[in-house]
Amino acid sequence: MSLMINAPFVEKVLTRFIRDELAKFGFKKGILGLSGGLDSSVCAALAARALGPANVLGLIMPCGDAFPADVRDAERVGRALGIRTKTIDIAPQVEAYFTAHRTKNRRLRGNKMARERMSILYDYSAREKALILGTSNKTELLIGYGTIHGDMACAINPMGDLYKTQVRQLARHLGLPASMIRKAPTAGLWPGQTDETEIGLTYAELDEILENIVEKGKSAADLVKTGFKPAAVRRVREMIRCSEFKRKMPPIAKLSPRSVGHDFLYPYDWGK
Amino acid sequence: MKIALAQIAPRLGALERNRDLHLEYMERARREKADLVVFPELSLTGYTLKDLAAEVALDPRTDPLFRKIMARSRGLSVVLGFMEEAAEEKGLFYNSVAFLSDGKILHVHRKVFLPTNGMFEEAKFFAQGRDLRTFPTPFGKAGLLICRDFLHYGASYVLYAGGADMIITVSAAPGRGVGGGEAFESSRMWELMGEAISSFSTAFVVYVNRVGSEDGVSFAGGSFVYGPDGRLLARAAYLDPEFRVLSLDLTAVREARTKRLFKRDEKPDIILRSLERVVRVPDD
Repeated sequence: MSLMINAPFVEKVLTRFIRDELAKFGFKKGILGLSGGLDSSVCAALAARALGPANVLGLIMPCGDAFPADVRDAERVGRALGIRTKTIDIAPQVEAYFTAHRTKNRRLRGNKMARERMSILYDYSAREKALILGTSNKTELLIGYGTIHGDMACAINPMGDLYKTQVRQLARHLGLPASMIRKAPTAGLWPGQTDETEIGLTYAELDEILENIVEKGKSAADLVKTGFKPAAVRRVREMIRCSEFKRKMPPIAKLSPRSVGHDFLYPYDWGK
Repeated sequence: MKIALAQIAPRLGALERNRDLHLEYMERARREKADLVVFPELSLTGYTLKDLAAEVALDPRTDPLFRKIMARSRGLSVVLGFMEEAAEEKGLFYNSVAFLSDGKILHVHRKVFLPTNGMFEEAKFFAQGRDLRTFPTPFGKAGLLICRDFLHYGASYVLYAGGADMIITVSAAPGRGVGGGEAFESSRMWELMGEAISSFSTAFVVYVNRVGSEDGVSFAGGSFVYGPDGRLLARAAYLDPEFRVLSLDLTAVREARTKRLFKRDEKPDIILRSLERVVRVPDD
């Protein structure tokens, strides 16, 4: 594996990034969803170092009492970092909807939950004048393992260029507890779900395939020749291809000579 | 002489604010008795301009904002980057760098090599410069390059052959690669070139890069000066803003060139003839 990072240097870049971005857009505070998992814990730790713990608000948003251990982990991380936390149970709003629109489909329920959390984050962002920090990592972004307009929604994303295995390295450097780094990653859509069983590959395997495709520009044939399982390579390439829509703004039907997104091209940081 | 490296983070598209930042650092240079202060690429406008290029472009000979900076350069030399649109070339936006001295423009260089691949989009928005040349300054002959220009070593060669005692590169180089030491891996590429070019052109090589971030991209900093003997004289911080003032002993060029005779024995006429053939008959 050549995905080793110099974690202290990455911390330096990302804390500056968080500080700069907030300053540019006139914010002092950051807000994020705390799931009790690794990515949001690492992001909270970076934000606490960048902005000072008092300027970070972690929203813990369980759905009823489905994942008590994760809630405890999220609270523990919040306490350890000294950031503010607030717990909001999303069950009433989720159940109000599914009482009227019944389904047994776990994925529909899970996506709805992710979007309820998003709507609460945006509401609290405005109430608290706090900018939303995204916690999607590069592995998830590449394979599209996230809910569009749900957990993928944010104002800035400090984590999006770090593979999951690199997030683990950063977590170790930031002093997060070993139990949290070892914990099986889960999207928390239903009890017992883990990323690795659902994706069908461990993060180590997945990141190695992604590294070869994305960083080294290897073809599927190259990968199979060097010993990767053809089915795994095929699956990863398909996941990347099928999730491009989650990484883009939606296409705008072009009519005029100068259209938003096509040839009206201004930087994000315009005048910032 | 004393040189000041102004490793700043300009604000994207905010001309007035960036002008004030330049004036502030020029004052600081004056206070610290610097003779020359060097700002990074597009220091007056920020880098990731896209369609903003048309809105921030100016003619340095007539623009009031630019002329204010020029007026304040009395008794001082200043190198700064800006988006240029000359009155006689309307609608052509050049990524340019100017050498000001004592209230006058001594030279303007327009970026020749416009990176347009991956994260870079320069040729999509900017017009291409077509000239490389040296010019006299109060500190000997100098040549100006902008960022990617410096990575095409032929550009430095032209300045060297043209008699440059000092090659000044202004840059907005993003940092890439975090698997290395206490800097982006890409910083090494610039330092390698700085060391090589200064050693073999026996001239000072000054490189001023910016810091800060635009649209998620962090600029790497790490501005540096190499002496004509290829030795590192100063390197500014990676990532963070810095204002570094150092003394340069201009006699070092003569000393280097009497010890190592590359300049005396150089044969630009043979290089030119050979190059002409390469360009005319590429397969030859």
